[in-house]
Amino acid sequence: MSDIIMENMPVNPKQSKFRHIFKKVKKERQLWILCIPLVAWVATFAYYPMYGIIIAFIKYVPGKPFLDCQWVGLKYFQQFFESPDLFLILRNTLAISGLDLLFGFPAPILLAILINELAFKRFKKFAQTVSYMPHFVSWVVVSSIMFTTLGTDGVFNEVLQLLGIVHEPVAFLSKGEYFWGLITISNIWKGIGWGSIIYLSAIAGIDEELYQAGAVDGLGRFGMIWHILLPGIKTTIVLLFILQIGGILNAGFEQQLLIGNSQTREYYDVIDTYAYRYGIQLGRYSYGAAIGLMKSAIGLSLVLITNKIAKKVSDLSII
Amino acid sequence: MKKYYKDTIGSRIFDIFNVVFMIVFCFFVIYPFYNQFVISLNEGTDAMRGGLYFYPRKISFEGYHWLFQNPHLLKGAVISVFRVLVGTGTCLFATGLLAYIVTLRDFSGRRFMRVLFVVTMYFSGGLIPTYLLISSLGLTNSFNVYWIPGLINAYYMLLIASYIQNLPESMVEAPRIDGCSELRIYCQIILPLSLPVFAAVAVYLAVQHWNAWFDVMIYNPSGRWDTLQIYLRRLLLEMDMVQNLQNEMLIQSKFKNLKPLTFRAATTIVVTVPILVVYPFLQKYFIGGITIGAVKG
Repeated sequence: MSDIIMENMPVNPKQSKFRHIFKKVKKERQLWILCIPLVAWVATFAYYPMYGIIIAFIKYVPGKPFLDCQWVGLKYFQQFFESPDLFLILRNTLAISGLDLLFGFPAPILLAILINELAFKRFKKFAQTVSYMPHFVSWVVVSSIMFTTLGTDGVFNEVLQLLGIVHEPVAFLSKGEYFWGLITISNIWKGIGWGSIIYLSAIAGIDEELYQAGAVDGLGRFGMIWHILLPGIKTTIVLLFILQIGGILNAGFEQQLLIGNSQTREYYDVIDTYAYRYGIQLGRYSYGAAIGLMKSAIGLSLVLITNKIAKKVSDLSII
Repeated sequence: MKKYYKDTIGSRIFDIFNVVFMIVFCFFVIYPFYNQFVISLNEGTDAMRGGLYFYPRKISFEGYHWLFQNPHLLKGAVISVFRVLVGTGTCLFATGLLAYIVTLRDFSGRRFMRVLFVVTMYFSGGLIPTYLLISSLGLTNSFNVYWIPGLINAYYMLLIASYIQNLPESMVEAPRIDGCSELRIYCQIILPLSLPVFAAVAVYLAVQHWNAWFDVMIYNPSGRWDTLQIYLRRLLLEMDMVQNLQNEMLIQSKFKNLKPLTFRAATTIVVTVPILVVYPFLQKYFIGGITIGAVKG
């Protein structure tokens, strides 16, 4: 009886909302308990480092709480812009990702088309499996292979000498001028097969009726590639191209640290390796963090802009 | 796919060109690995003369013999395997649990949790703040640094969630009414039902952990938890270490004919072989993973 009276009494709507939430949380307490460690983890390992970016604006002294350190504003950003290294770093970053865009981007598309045109199913499968093998090995292994095959007494130099192309062994790995080419080729070698998977699945998604219609219209083999296959994967190509432009400041990191050496630094040093060298190896945490922050701010806006364009181009988007 | 075009001469020539190109391409992918293998099986002093292309001139198993009696390398192998198992297992469990939570339609915290983690895909503290955090937590020079900072991956969460979303909801409703705990539903119903996507993610994670070297280098400077990859890196880039190894060999007058060229090659082969053996069998899983990712965008 008293329950009914309670229910009919006008209650404060705010209070009822609160009670509603409380009830719901109580019902879901098991799930919330499961969430606690997950939230604790993300707070510590993802959000706390975001707060830690503050060291880009203070004169950070290891061991001292951030808020006790001296605020210096944009001093480290200014330092980077005034540093004599700026030109080289930007040049290398843009050159390496530019070459990747120019050669590394079309390579998997070509490979996918060629694999698709293979007639023997077994061989097709074999070629595909082989093609993405390098994706699965680490850069340490790739660098080891490069040191042996491209070194002055490696197979590559021997073959070049046998063919009479060069008379003296070429030091590919210790001459800066070769570095960009070297890294572009190794990036392609490592990524071409893996990159082709997405195009192959796009090719597989093309409606077979289009080919039938093409045959009726008298299209030959190359005509079909040009008029049916390529338009069929156009959206994928455009989308991935735009996304790669969004990541233009990511010119590689592990590769440079492993394949580069002190003789080639002038050509391999990109924003990421520079920030790592100053920020961690030389212990200039604030300076390194400032460079890192600047790079990710520009990188993120590029991704957002390009994603917007990509959305216009197709219904797909990454966000 | 059926052929819809006519067999013209041009098309035949293209076929021949294509097959030849593919054979050359496969050669360029496989040969560098094979060349390492040949060098690793050749006697060191002889290998220095060069000219090793397709088969070893003077067969010698010294390189591998040295590897398998080298305590650093054996320890590295154990740590690498351990890292793959622990890192993959914990990340899979935690990320999967999160994926399950964010797919529960009635859970009021669903959106919050999803956004909380998706944000981390686009924003991160970056290398240096993370490095400072890991140091201040005392994770440096410990095994824990290999799995705790990478415990949850937002991208894999989305991948797994998109799979779980398609499972029939009745699967979880009945046990929930029977009073089954959420954790048990996850472990005993969701996990076995989502095996394909978990397998795909497990492949990615295992390869990632096996190949990782940068975090080992910066977070484990003491060398106590050196993995195989970092050991190979040391052999390649740390000249004093290689010199010490050679001096040791001289003093013990063991492995006299072993040269850096050959023991590096042997180590490279040992580091690579597990991946080469495993990946062709896992193809269907990771290709599945890519396609799920592609559909979801």
